[in-house]
Amino acid sequence: MTTNEMPELGRFAEPSLYILVSLSDGPKHGYAIMTDVEAGTGRPMGPGTLYAALARLEERGLIEALAPVDRRRPYRLSALGATVLSEQLNGLVEFAQLGLRRLGQAPR
Amino acid sequence: MRGLLLGLYPARWRARYADEFALVLAERPLGPFDVADVLLGALDAHLHLRGLGAASAHGKGFAMTLRIGGYAAIVCGLLWFIVLAGNAINNGGNAGAWLGWSLLGAVVTTLVALIGLSAFQARRYPVLIWTSFAVPAVSAVIALAGGVATAASGDSDREIVAGLSGWAIGTIGMLGLLIGSGLFAIGTWRARSLSRSAASLLGVGAVFVVLGLTGVAGGFLPRELALIAVLLSVLAFPAGWAALGVSALRVDGAGAAPLEGAGA
Repeated sequence: MTTNEMPELGRFAEPSLYILVSLSDGPKHGYAIMTDVEAGTGRPMGPGTLYAALARLEERGLIEALAPVDRRRPYRLSALGATVLSEQLNGLVEFAQLGLRRLGQAPR
Repeated sequence: MRGLLLGLYPARWRARYADEFALVLAERPLGPFDVADVLLGALDAHLHLRGLGAASAHGKGFAMTLRIGGYAAIVCGLLWFIVLAGNAINNGGNAGAWLGWSLLGAVVTTLVALIGLSAFQARRYPVLIWTSFAVPAVSAVIALAGGVATAASGDSDREIVAGLSGWAIGTIGMLGLLIGSGLFAIGTWRARSLSRSAASLLGVGAVFVVLGLTGVAGGFLPRELALIAVLLSVLAFPAGWAALGVSALRVDGAGAAPLEGAGA
C-alpha cells in the first residue's frame, strides 16, 4: 500500500485491496473472489489469506455479507468500502505518476 | 484433510465461516501452498478474531446513518426552498404559520442531515468533520431554542436571556446555521467522501443566502445586488443540500448492487 488508508489491516492490506476491487463490479462469494483476484493479478490467493482478509474487511464495515445462495455466501462492497477503495486507487494512481515522472516516463 | 484443516480454526470462526470456507476448500485440489496458507490462516484466526459480529453491526450502523442523513438532506433542501422563496416573495413580512412551520421543519431536518452525514464522514476524518459540524449543529439548537422561547412567551420582543428576546436568539441561531452550513460544505468538500460538486453548491449557496439576507436587512449592499444574492440563494442553498442528500444515497446505493457474481 502506498497510502495510509488501511494501516490496521497489516499484512492483509494488499489482499484486502484486491478483494475490494474484485467486489467493485458486484457481489461475489469466496471462491469467485479468489479466482477473480488470481485472474486479475496473476498471483494465487490462498483460502486462508482470503478469509482472514474477508473477516477484517467485514469487521471494519468495508464489505457486507449477504444471504447464502446454495450454501455460498456472497459479499458486497459497502458504501464505506466503495469510498475507501476509490481513495486507495486514486492514491495509487498519484503514486504511480510520481514514480513515472521520476523515471522520466511521464510528463511533469 | 479438509475437515482437519477446518478443525484448526477457532469454534467462533467456524460458526461464522465454516460452511462457505469448506466449499472454497472443496472447489479445487489443495496444493502445499494452499495447505500452508490455511495453517497460517488458522493461526491468525486464533490470534486475531474477536468482536466480529459487533463490528459487522457497527458497519451497518454507519450505512444507516448515511441513508438517514441523505434523506434528511433532500427534505431539508425542499423545505429551505419553500422558506427562502416564501420569504423572498413575501419580502420579509409576516407570511403566516405555514412559513414558520416550514422553517421549523427545515432547521430540524438540517440538524438530522448534519448528524447523519457527519457520522458517516467522521469515521475517516473525525477532526475535520466534527469541527465543521459543530457550528451549524449548535446554531440549529440555538435557533430551535429561540423559536420555542418565542412560542412559549407569545411575545417575540420579550427578553429571555442576556437582554436577548426569543426572536433575537432564533435569528442569531439561524444566521449561525446558514454560515455553519457553509463551513460544513467546506469540511465535506475536503473530506471527499461525498460529492464535491454538491458540497461546492451548498457552500456557494450559503454565501449567497447570508449575503442576501444581511444585504437586504442591513442595507449594506446595493438593492440590485442584494436581490440577485437573494435569488441565487433561493436556488443554490436548497439545491446544495438536496444534491448532498442525493450524493449520500448514491454512496449508500453503491453497496446495494444486484447479485451479479453470486452464482459464479
